[in-house]
Amino acid sequence: MSVPTIIVHGGARTFEPDLKEVVKDGVRAAARQGYDHLIGSGNAMDAVVEAVSAMEDNMVFNAGHGSMLNLNGDVEMDAIVIDGRNLASGAVCGLQGCANPVQVARLVMEKTKHCLLTADGARAFMKSQGIQPIPNRELVTQKAVVEFETYKKYSTAVEKVMLSRSIPPVTSDCDTVGAVAIDGNGNVAAATSTGGITAKLPGRVGDSCIIGSGAYADNAVGAVSTTGLGESIMRVCLARRIAELLEKGETADQASKHALDFMSKRVGGTAGVIVISAAGVSGTARVAHHFTTTNMVWAAISNGYMRWGIDPDQEESSELKA
Amino acid sequence: MIEPTIIVHGGAWDIPSSLTTRSVNGVKAAACKGHEILRCGGSAVDAVVAAVSALEDDTAFDAGHGAVLNLKGEVELDAIVIDGRNLESGAVCGLQGCANPVQVARLVMEKTSHCLLSGRGATDFMESQGIARIPDTELVTPEARNEWETYVKFSAAVRSLFSSRSTPPVTSGCDTVGAVAMDAKGNLAAATSTGGITAKLPGRVGDSPIIGSGAYADNTVGAVSTTGHGESIMKVCLAKKVGEQMEKGDTADQAARNALDFMAQRVGGAAGVIALSKDRQGAACQVGHHFTTTRMAWSSISNGQIRWGIDPGQEMISPLNG
Repeated sequence: MSVPTIIVHGGARTFEPDLKEVVKDGVRAAARQGYDHLIGSGNAMDAVVEAVSAMEDNMVFNAGHGSMLNLNGDVEMDAIVIDGRNLASGAVCGLQGCANPVQVARLVMEKTKHCLLTADGARAFMKSQGIQPIPNRELVTQKAVVEFETYKKYSTAVEKVMLSRSIPPVTSDCDTVGAVAIDGNGNVAAATSTGGITAKLPGRVGDSCIIGSGAYADNAVGAVSTTGLGESIMRVCLARRIAELLEKGETADQASKHALDFMSKRVGGTAGVIVISAAGVSGTARVAHHFTTTNMVWAAISNGYMRWGIDPDQEESSELKA
Repeated sequence: MIEPTIIVHGGAWDIPSSLTTRSVNGVKAAACKGHEILRCGGSAVDAVVAAVSALEDDTAFDAGHGAVLNLKGEVELDAIVIDGRNLESGAVCGLQGCANPVQVARLVMEKTSHCLLSGRGATDFMESQGIARIPDTELVTPEARNEWETYVKFSAAVRSLFSSRSTPPVTSGCDTVGAVAMDAKGNLAAATSTGGITAKLPGRVGDSPIIGSGAYADNTVGAVSTTGHGESIMKVCLAKKVGEQMEKGDTADQAARNALDFMAQRVGGAAGVIALSKDRQGAACQVGHHFTTTRMAWSSISNGQIRWGIDPGQEMISPLNG
């Protein structure tokens, strides 16, 4: 038996001061929605899908509504869910015309023998499940357009669409969303969802939909969701690295810090992680978060108590209202 | 002076006796091609790309020419290359109309700031690099077409294109190809390429283009390429797990064996692994392979000798000519 716990993140990046309150509100609401499902259905998978869906619906985050635009000015989304009981997983990448990619990811897991569907195949599958595509433009926000226009204005090195870019992508939009949870039965689950980075090459897939990079979950170990510079996360299999450190006996806190340190030294790049370690020998599941970016907005709920933060080593808390 | 080494595989599956000679000849020829490049001072990346290209060109294998068909009867290709020096990587998934996906994967690594491109984005990128798209008819063999027709005919459970399938996909298409190498400077690289599984859902991405699943390479650890049941491999991040075992001190053989055991117990499914592990001084490497499928065609070259096999426990050896 475990204490039902959920932690969510709304992205690791530099948040402008006038955005901080609204994103904190967003992760708190998402955590609450996920937690209510955790207590209600008692199911970690339901909880993470609910929490991530809430953030996909919230235009302030770079997932679902509010996704950043690729180099063609289109939305392409990636998402994943992992069930820690049997490592079952479902994911999509390059999905268009969908408000809640994490729900399609769950359907991939439950209705197919596959783990990952891409682009047109993902879209056709979504339609086969009775989810009608919506016009991509419904997902586009003013903020996403502004970031895209800013990128185009300053990207003087780009003459043709597909040239190698020496200018790093605009980094202010690494705000993938994610959630990990443990339910009363000790089952863990993880989910991550993103619109990717502004002006990415069409078809670019980052870490968010990749088992071992954007997420990992195993009842024997714990659950992880990551956010940040996708290519760096992929190159070191960041989520799997954290799981490996947990297997070696590190706490959720230690594993988070050490894995991010390793990534920074081995390949460079910054990121953020949320982790729940399995109850294991100690009998108590632990929650942790860590980030090497300027900010990461997160919220966690356990034992009727909510904690949240956005700045390094900063945390607010309050009792959960009924 | 470091002895360059290469090991390649041509897929782990129930290879029929009618194909064993072609498979063995194919992996030996590919190993020779890769080793020749190493001998002349070429890099590990050059060698694995050359070896895998040779296997893609060989219609005996499910990669490039000879790739199996998806549910719609089309070819969709996945491939990856990883440079162990700095963990740089390039990969493609759902790529169409391409004879050598591993070469496009390399271009993703060298010409973009991304690690993975999917679907039309991958195909457009390929064309932007001056590689013309070729018609599927040029890649499809009679064997691939027959396998697809057999599946479609006997798949009584399939009423509409995407309904949940209780009939398992035909397993004879798990012959992803791959190569890992160490060059004269002690640098490691890995590459993997596949057409996937017969009658996969359009857009289905398996383990092959995923860092940590289909391949892994890190100069400080070793290099790995995997083949077999893609979804099982993805769920346990098989290539990364082999790497973790090698970091713990396992030989390449032991690491492959232990990782495959873990996969079988945790999620089921069978697969094959080829691996190179660095010794403690980093000056030489151990070569290893293991498979839990009926057969896996493999070949390795080092120290003037060529080894190869296809049945469990089988290893033939002869001096490398000239």
